Amino acid sequence: MEMLLEVHDLVKVFGRARAVDGVSFTIPKGRIVGLLGPNGAGKTTTIHMLLGLITPTAGRIVYFGREFPRHRSACLQRINFASSFNTLQGRISVWENLAVFARLYGLRAPRAKIESLAAYFGVTALLHARYWDLSAGERTRVNLIKALLNDPELILMDEPTAALDPDIADKTLALIEEIRRVSGVSILYTSHDMHEVTRICDDVIILDRGRIFAHDTPLGLTKRIRTATLTLTFDGDRAVVERFLTERGARFRFTHPFSVSIETTEQALPSLIFDVATTGVWITDIDVKKPTLEDVFLTIARGPRRVD
Amino acid sequence: MSTDRIAGVLLQEVYITRRSLEVIVDLFYTSAVTVVVFGFVSRFLVGVTHQNAGSYLILGLLLWEVIRVNQYSLTVGSLWNIWSHNLSNMFVAPLTVTEYVVAHLLSALLKTFVIFCGISAVAAWGFHFDILRLGVLNVALFFANLTVFAWSVGLVLLGVIFQVGTRIQALAWGMIFLFQPLTAAFFPVTALPPVVRAVAYALPPTYVFEAARRALDVPGVNWTSIGIASAENLVYLAAAVGAFSWMVARSRRSGRLARAEG
Repeated sequence: MEMLLEVHDLVKVFGRARAVDGVSFTIPKGRIVGLLGPNGAGKTTTIHMLLGLITPTAGRIVYFGREFPRHRSACLQRINFASSFNTLQGRISVWENLAVFARLYGLRAPRAKIESLAAYFGVTALLHARYWDLSAGERTRVNLIKALLNDPELILMDEPTAALDPDIADKTLALIEEIRRVSGVSILYTSHDMHEVTRICDDVIILDRGRIFAHDTPLGLTKRIRTATLTLTFDGDRAVVERFLTERGARFRFTHPFSVSIETTEQALPSLIFDVATTGVWITDIDVKKPTLEDVFLTIARGPRRVD
Repeated sequence: MSTDRIAGVLLQEVYITRRSLEVIVDLFYTSAVTVVVFGFVSRFLVGVTHQNAGSYLILGLLLWEVIRVNQYSLTVGSLWNIWSHNLSNMFVAPLTVTEYVVAHLLSALLKTFVIFCGISAVAAWGFHFDILRLGVLNVALFFANLTVFAWSVGLVLLGVIFQVGTRIQALAWGMIFLFQPLTAAFFPVTALPPVVRAVAYALPPTYVFEAARRALDVPGVNWTSIGIASAENLVYLAAAVGAFSWMVARSRRSGRLARAEG
């Protein structure tokens, strides 16, 4: 599998703090890799080192088989960056902003490229509007156009949907999925939103205190938390259910006189439901909540030892 | 009307003023420098009967603008990117810092040339002061030397901005005025106290302003002054490039370049 980015033992020390501590990973062609972690985990520092904005203390970054930053311009020519924290020049128009970046990336036919991307993202009517007159959603789309101007093989996205309302964030994600489907671009995607990461990422790297805590598919990560929450609604004697669960040593709580939530494991679910039914109560509703990536994230954020 | 509420707003003003270099530079510092400059001008003008004394002021102002506009354009040009949170976008493109600076130097040069031509025309038509009286070669040499000095100051300020961000942005447009009295822009160096005179002679524009005033009285190029100014400028420019490179590398190591706009 062709590797677009290889990161080897990346370290960044600020004073006494090791912001990034021996991080290694790769991004294969065509994959979307999520970079997750609580605040201060080292995500943005990692992205900034990958972009050459911060000099690493140690470690190697290799894009397309070429050492970075020794081949800085050649590498940056083939990648791009989109972030909700970086905007374009506010006083000039969308067109003017994009024309500047088209020149920076050495585009031969910038007009055609800008027009086709603007049409694709539905911002043709905004091309001559000043950037700071755009809404947050419009700015995000323009930022994505900037990120696609040079037909990058890899895009680094730092929380591109932060500060967007859920509807615009959803549309932005759909655009990113579409970009990936059409161009096959690889993406390194940082976000705090677990639903986003679950939706678009093929692999997820979880950083915690500068180190890679876990690296797996979203499904693989959720499987690391073996608990599931079973909620049973029943018609019958509550005391019977309560006594049964207590004798069994289960962790449970009644959310309603006839509704009980039980912490269990995925494997134990069928037998537990069967056993409750044998107590003589009539089960009228079953709801199973499996762990999500958010649970994994929260578990890590609150204490790493609690995950697998 | 509530005195409490007025006091509340005044309190806010005190807090903002204490923490805003912009307010300190734009108000207190600029006022102080202006008083010093015009104090020296007054000292020079008292009892002077020289026929060109009045012209020294407008000559000094025209040449001073070469320094101010060049330096302002170089430094504030980058602040626009920082204010727009666009600097990172620029530097994650294949653009190098050297290319970025060269572009801003060229932009500064072009703006300064256009403005210098414009204000020189105003001085000629409106106030009968033709700067070409000094000779085209003289004007070109003065312009070049003042430009290089402005670039040196601008590069150092740009490096400092990359290091510490917008906290010191007021220096981008205010710092240069420190050199107005120190380089004797509007009056002969002899109007300065002896100690300050020694500082003045360490600054290239001083020789340019002196040579320009002399050229008003005695036509021709003062090669000695131009030679010293050029030599000092070379040293200043080399030092500024070194300092700028060091500060950019340091700001990349410290992460401040990435945070400059935040």
